[in-house]
Amino acid sequence: MSFFWRLGSWSSIMWLESSSYFQQRADRYLKWAAWLLVPLYLVGVAALYAAFIHAPTERTMGEVQRIFYFHVGAAWTAFLAFFVVFVAGIAYLWRRNLFWDELGAASAEVGVVFTTIVLTTGPIWARPIWNTWWPWGDPRVTTTLVLWLIYVAYFALRSSLPAGEKRARLAAVFGIIGFIDVPIVFLSVRWWRTIHPVVITRSEVRLEPEMVQALLIAVAAFTILYFTLLLTRTAMRLQDAASEEIMQAVRERSD
Amino acid sequence: MGQLKLVWLLAIKDLKIEYRSRQAFLTTLFFAALILVVFNFAFDPGSASTRDASPGILWVALLFPGMIQLNRSFQSETEEGTLQGIVLAPVDRGILFLGKVLANWLFLLAIDLLILAVFIVFFNFAPDPSFLWVILFMFLVGAGFSAVGTVFAAMVTNVRIREVLLPILLFPIIVPIILAAVNATREVLIHQDFSTVERWLQLVVAFDVIFLAAGFLVFDYVVGE
Repeated sequence: MSFFWRLGSWSSIMWLESSSYFQQRADRYLKWAAWLLVPLYLVGVAALYAAFIHAPTERTMGEVQRIFYFHVGAAWTAFLAFFVVFVAGIAYLWRRNLFWDELGAASAEVGVVFTTIVLTTGPIWARPIWNTWWPWGDPRVTTTLVLWLIYVAYFALRSSLPAGEKRARLAAVFGIIGFIDVPIVFLSVRWWRTIHPVVITRSEVRLEPEMVQALLIAVAAFTILYFTLLLTRTAMRLQDAASEEIMQAVRERSD
Repeated sequence: MGQLKLVWLLAIKDLKIEYRSRQAFLTTLFFAALILVVFNFAFDPGSASTRDASPGILWVALLFPGMIQLNRSFQSETEEGTLQGIVLAPVDRGILFLGKVLANWLFLLAIDLLILAVFIVFFNFAPDPSFLWVILFMFLVGAGFSAVGTVFAAMVTNVRIREVLLPILLFPIIVPIILAAVNATREVLIHQDFSTVERWLQLVVAFDVIFLAAGFLVFDYVVGE
């Protein structure tokens, strides 16, 4: 925890003049993130205990079913993250404050990481259970894949533009369009496969109460993890922006 | 001057430029035909499986040239600096957007219809009325494609790697209309089954409406101050 505080205070020493708006915000977020580590640790340990010990072993699927808790937790968090990108995009276009851009980019980063977790844990589970690594027939799988592609494209767009107002503006527009697209993608993928004979149907799984508890704790743990990462990444991005401001000032003075 | 007339004037300006050189149109058309030829080399021509895959081949042959056209649509504007002129004109940015969409759309439709003829010949289809459905989908899918594509093309105009970046941005977003186009075409041409076409049609129309409206609203932010 003290690591984060040191990180915050060290960078405020670097900022010799009155510390900038970005720097102040970054310091504040790092402190919040540090405090979040306490519940993250507690709920995280509880989630691991619930998933591996508290929840019973599923009768037909066996131990591999336990991946479900992490899979769903990551999926929920990914969708939340992309919703935040959408909201931050609207907020940026409305307020024109670069803070919203950094927040959106940080959330998209975390979202892509969690979507990658979803797309990795899915095949590990699907291979023994559905006998296929990649069930194209499941609309959720294909929608998640398209979601991943959209937000990787979001970073391709960002990295091809110089930092600044224009990049923030275009990234916001893309983040909004990408999010609007998601329900249409889901609908189209569902129709795509239900028209043809469905090879794989999601079998009716009735969850034991202990399983529901484990799932809820896992979702809570992942949500706290998301906010911790979001605050940390936003703070780091804001510090980048603040140090860029310093460089700019130094360059202007040396000219 | 009516707003619709403004849209038409902006579109006709682009199409006139295209018509005077004709080079871009013919090259794009040639490229699309080439894709159809390459796919026939890649698969076993005349076999049942190639015929089953032909709706997908047709739409791929339309998508790639469409991408090239979109990349070009703002190129001359930035090279000659005319975009500034248009942006300075007392015209709503949404109108400017619709003008560009219309120009791209008409350009693509001309390519689409000519390629469809090549497709019928190469894949040995009987030109029956079910192709009217395919043409209808060309109209509607082209509109959605142009709407999203015009927004993204305007976004990447000054980017060095725009030729690669535009497809990366565009393909994930247009997944719904690609699926709709390919599946509807397959149902109509291969299975002669018209029961699901209407549903795909609704999806494409919804996509068109949503993204024409979204593009109209956000284009102001894309072209900037």
